[in-house]
Amino acid sequence: MSLLQIFEGPLFYIAVTVFVVGAIWRIWGIIAIGRKTDISPPKASAKVGFVAGNLRHFLPRKIFAKRTWVHIIAGYSFHLGLFVLVIFAAPHIAFFHDHIWGIRWPALPRWGFIIAAQFAFAGLIMLWVRRFSDPVMRLISDWDDHIGSWLTFLVMLTGCLALQESHDALKATHMLFVDIWLIYFPFSRLMHAMTFFLSRGYTGMTYGRKGMNL
Amino acid sequence: MDLQKLIAAMFLFALMVMPLAPLQAQSVRPPANAVNQGINEQIGDEQIGTSNTLGTNSRSDYWRDLRQGRDGLATSGQTGSKLIQAQGEQWRNIRKLYIIKYSGWVLATVIVMIALFYLIRGRILLKAGRSGKTITRFSLPHRTAHWFMASIFILLSISGLILLLGRTVLVPVIGKSTYSIFASAAMQGHNLFGPLFIVALVWLIFMFIRGNFFKMVDLKWILKGGGLLGPHASAGHYNFGEKGWFWLVVVAGLIMAISGMILEFPWLAENLQLLQISIIVHAIGAIALISAALGHIYIGTLGMEGALDSMTTGDVDVVWAKEHHDLWYEEVTGQKVANPEAEGDQSAPDRAQVSVQSQITET
Repeated sequence: MSLLQIFEGPLFYIAVTVFVVGAIWRIWGIIAIGRKTDISPPKASAKVGFVAGNLRHFLPRKIFAKRTWVHIIAGYSFHLGLFVLVIFAAPHIAFFHDHIWGIRWPALPRWGFIIAAQFAFAGLIMLWVRRFSDPVMRLISDWDDHIGSWLTFLVMLTGCLALQESHDALKATHMLFVDIWLIYFPFSRLMHAMTFFLSRGYTGMTYGRKGMNL
Repeated sequence: MDLQKLIAAMFLFALMVMPLAPLQAQSVRPPANAVNQGINEQIGDEQIGTSNTLGTNSRSDYWRDLRQGRDGLATSGQTGSKLIQAQGEQWRNIRKLYIIKYSGWVLATVIVMIALFYLIRGRILLKAGRSGKTITRFSLPHRTAHWFMASIFILLSISGLILLLGRTVLVPVIGKSTYSIFASAAMQGHNLFGPLFIVALVWLIFMFIRGNFFKMVDLKWILKGGGLLGPHASAGHYNFGEKGWFWLVVVAGLIMAISGMILEFPWLAENLQLLQISIIVHAIGAIALISAALGHIYIGTLGMEGALDSMTTGDVDVVWAKEHHDLWYEEVTGQKVANPEAEGDQSAPDRAQVSVQSQITET
């Protein structure tokens, strides 16, 4: 069995299992904590606040626009680029079909997913630069944040280096980093990809119940 | 008896020659008339061959014309009506004998010179030491633009050097098979990050062009050797070296961007020669930028105390500002730097004085 076969075979399925079980365990843990009962009379709907809190966070605050425009652009660029890249790149669709669920969907043309990759790279680099260059971000960032950023970068980079699909060694390197990333994900702040709606919703519910303007 | 000997000798000779007969039949020597066979061809209006053995053209002329890329001899898609693009050989020689050969030497020389400079001059320390008070030099968008360009530049430099010098430097070490993996990866990475370089370049120009135009004070700075080897050289927000680096990035960067786009999208080129010129220009520009970047990286990190702060936190020590960018310090704080050379002993009262300035932060 070649390294590529191991990385996209047994190791990949182990990594996916850790990813899924770990992520469910983390989300369940957050939900299980629950909320402290608020005995004050509600002034508005907490459920509406949950939804509003989630939606409102997608839009930048006007008063902070001047200070935050770089990382807002970078954030959207990275997350949307990565989403398109993972879901609509032809090699990924083929991989999902062959190794996971056996279905296909329309792929982006090659130039389309190259552009998506460029947006993702540009965004990720800018976000990481902000992490060590912004005084506040530098203070609240620890090794977990940097490892998460670098692992994601290496997954993307090795994927991009394997674009020609001419060498198994390059594809194996990419798959190895994908496996590591999947295993690291549930135990790191990369989990924000699955928990952001809970934290935003919690804030939205709290403020919404108090009748605050979100 | 003699006749018997003669017959015996002839018999022996015949035995010796007979095995060679089939070999002679396989000889590669062409038949006598081979020169004139098959060359009764029409080149332009000229007849050559057996019927015109002393004509105005010959086989050597034919190949010479072909070799020099004369139109009409054969057709090939991208090169129009030429079978051989003669400039290709010149391009190959220029690339192999000059670009690849000397680019490695240029980079090696730059690295050695920087090392020698460090050994001779040492790290440029703050004469007065750090004061503990800082002044903002670059905003977060400035720093993000800088590091964005730096990240893309490093990725492109590594992948580009693998492609340019890999056969010369890497193949003897890792072999052709392994190098082909590196080359494939480098090519894909280079092509993907190339367009991002243009984005980074435009952003960098937009963010840093202000203050980077040359002034008379830069001439004085040059005459004093930038203060590296002699007396203090006054400078504004950017000194001549930084301005020169900025404009090199702008000019060489634009050339790299244009030539890179032509190489990444070959259908943009009208002919093969433009692609060849682009490769040469791209390589020369890359070596110039990487060489200068090595100097920039050195002076921004190891070479000068306090310089890196301006691009990490955005703030620099006031002593650093006075010693290296005194005119900028005066402009920002409104205070005169009397003698930047002698800041050391006078820094204490000066620190007290500048602490009232809103631009200065106590750390």
